[in-house]
Amino acid sequence: MAVSKKVFEDQVLGLLGRLQGVAHRLTRNQADAEDLVAETVARAWRALNTLESEQAFRAWIFRILNNTFISNLRSAGARPQLDPTECGEAQEDEGDFSVFEQMHQPFLLWFSNPEQEFLDKLLREDLDRALAALPDCYRVVVIMSDLQEFSYAEIAETLAIPIGTVRSRLARARSALQKVLWQQAQTYGLQNAPGARPESAARVAPESKGNVR
Amino acid sequence: MTKEQINCEQALKQILDFIDQELGEHDRAAMAQHLHTCKSCFSRMEFERRLKEKVGALRDEEVPSQLGARIKGLLKSF
Repeated sequence: MAVSKKVFEDQVLGLLGRLQGVAHRLTRNQADAEDLVAETVARAWRALNTLESEQAFRAWIFRILNNTFISNLRSAGARPQLDPTECGEAQEDEGDFSVFEQMHQPFLLWFSNPEQEFLDKLLREDLDRALAALPDCYRVVVIMSDLQEFSYAEIAETLAIPIGTVRSRLARARSALQKVLWQQAQTYGLQNAPGARPESAARVAPESKGNVR
Repeated sequence: MTKEQINCEQALKQILDFIDQELGEHDRAAMAQHLHTCKSCFSRMEFERRLKEKVGALRDEEVPSQLGARIKGLLKSF
């Protein structure tokens, strides 16, 4: 055993906020997120002999969390969106939407930077809502890459897909995420008034959710 | 050693690999050199990097009290 029970407990409690945050983004549901975290901790304890060192703890327990989520998703059967065809990967036009290209104005480079202002105005809830609107197969790779900081090779291993597929899926996922953010911004006129975010921009109409696919 | 020059089209194709630190040493150096001289590609890279950073900040969340109690109880049972 690479770590004692005391170290295991300290590590779990120290990472609990992050396990909860990642589980919440994966499941999109508070109760399911708590169940996922509890199941992950229980599985991790049972698999403690597979932990190589204390330094490897964080990556190790997040791998268990990802595997538990994916396994639950597949066994549930009701939401098999990890399948690329369900995710619309056959569509060629999905990887090229860019907020930057929508907003960038090269002749204003020295005076103004609308795309950076767009980012400045994004709130945590805007990003959370946009991420939640993505189908599972896109959301999972963004979470693994951006929230968990896993390499393409680690994501490929977890999802049992080639690295090239991780790369292209991540590009499509980020494009889809930007499309949702753009739609949210358009709904509230953010791109027309980068200097003045209306109060209502923090709220998003229900109809703007879940229409990425 | 002379670094191989890349153009904007090649740079744009590698921007996500660059911010995800997935480029090899040679490609990373060529990309860094291009970004040093091309304001438009640098702005695009900065946009993608900052967006990734903002999405990444969703990783941390306050632990609900009932979850904290549940996990502490679970740990005690091991």
